[in-house]
Amino acid sequence: MLLNRAALPLACALSISSAMAVELGQGVQAHGFLSQSLVYTSDNRMGGNSDDGIATEMREIGGNLSWRPGADWLLSGQALARWAGASDNGDLRLDYGFVDRTLLADGDTSVGVRLGKIKNPYGFYNTTRDVAQTRPGIIMPQAIYLDRARNFFLAAPGIGFYGNHESANGNLSWQVSALRPEVDDPDLTYFMLGRGLGHFSGKASWLGQALLESEGGRWRAGLSLGQMAMKYHPAAIDPFMAGQTRLPTWVLSLEHNTEYWSLTGEFSQTSVHSNGYGNPAIEQDNTTEAWYLQATRRFGGGWQGFLRYDVLYMDKHDRDGTAFAASIPIYRSFPYLRFAKDWSVGVRRDVGRWTWSGEWHHVDGTAWLSPTDTPVRTSVEKWDLLLLQGAWYF
Amino acid sequence: MRRYGGFFLIFFSLHAAAVEVIVNRGVAGTSLAQASARALFGMRLAKWPDGRPVQVFVLPDDHPAHIALCKEQLNIYPYQLRQSWDRLVYSGLAQAPIEVATEEALISRVATTPGALGYVRKVKQNDPVKVLHVVE
Repeated sequence: MLLNRAALPLACALSISSAMAVELGQGVQAHGFLSQSLVYTSDNRMGGNSDDGIATEMREIGGNLSWRPGADWLLSGQALARWAGASDNGDLRLDYGFVDRTLLADGDTSVGVRLGKIKNPYGFYNTTRDVAQTRPGIIMPQAIYLDRARNFFLAAPGIGFYGNHESANGNLSWQVSALRPEVDDPDLTYFMLGRGLGHFSGKASWLGQALLESEGGRWRAGLSLGQMAMKYHPAAIDPFMAGQTRLPTWVLSLEHNTEYWSLTGEFSQTSVHSNGYGNPAIEQDNTTEAWYLQATRRFGGGWQGFLRYDVLYMDKHDRDGTAFAASIPIYRSFPYLRFAKDWSVGVRRDVGRWTWSGEWHHVDGTAWLSPTDTPVRTSVEKWDLLLLQGAWYF
Repeated sequence: MRRYGGFFLIFFSLHAAAVEVIVNRGVAGTSLAQASARALFGMRLAKWPDGRPVQVFVLPDDHPAHIALCKEQLNIYPYQLRQSWDRLVYSGLAQAPIEVATEEALISRVATTPGALGYVRKVKQNDPVKVLHVVE
């Protein structure tokens, strides 16, 4: 009986077959996606107990609805549930939900405004990072698209103005948003403070992005720029006081596309300025540096492969983490918490609406691992990660 | 030399006819700039210059007419179009084009949907749609 209940929605889903979208009436569309990964690590943990066997707690399922009541209006919403080991438990949440109004459209130029919970434009991939088919691999390049800070950067309530301009030379699109980030996330508290007992809330922040595509997207270049801000609400007994943190950030993105190859590189820096926590170590200014380069080759028949090198330094002035380890006694043996250098190679096959992928990572450092999955004491500096994934979308 | 010019013109015309961009007969105009065609098929532009909404119909990604549209009329690769659709659709910024299985079905949807845009390899004389010439 249980099996039947589980099988029914799946059977309904599959009966949509290769339809691109489900049309639910005039101007209404539905889309959805799901993925399930298997994770094996030589040491450290991701998606469950991946170092003792195969972990299966990495999956995502989501669906969206959109309604275009007229040429100038669009209403969109998406719900998402995500599982990621101890750091995400599958709670259903609103991924985005907003009203989009086109203010001006004269053929080649358009300008509009979006109001509601909007995905944050940050680098090439942030807005659709939970849809497996749109990612450049099974997991995002972690240096820039850190899963640990995912919820903070993913989407936020606010207002966004956007524009698009087409010309024979290319396409320029931009967006500027005023937002209040959603930051009530234990992973983020750990990320910012180590062992804070309280919680964070978002403060007024802004993010902007300009993307330029030339020759129909053979070259794509982007600049994302912004400042995210939050404040800390300490617990009744808490080692930290009610501090505030500002994070000015930018990402430079560049991609070259040919028929068989895509070469992608992104570089970002995020500064951390904190005050009022009553703790000099936390209040020290710091700049993280992250970049990756990826080459993707399309082979035909739905096959593609990639090679990526992905680097994250939590402090660009202390790349090997030795100053950090020397300054905090409990982290003396763990300078590698402050960096991660990740070589990965992967293969993917698209068959209709299905995507099957496998990839292998060799990582030096643990900067992007969630400490809720891999406690610092049990972490190992050099480790391997094998991922397999099946994904479907419509 | 002029004879060669004529030859090239004929050759070019045949080549350009590998796929034709079609619209509902209510859509104004006879030609479309390539940049506008990319924006319309890329779902970045949701209305015609007269303000009426656009409805885009496409064939499956691996259909020869789709590949020809991308490469010959839009000068992009099919995977790029797919990536831009996915980026827009799963962040809520635009709707997806409506996919139909065959060219016959596409002609019939374009003929009966106001503001419709699509493409087929060959438009027959009595097909109830209008051809738009894509100009670079």
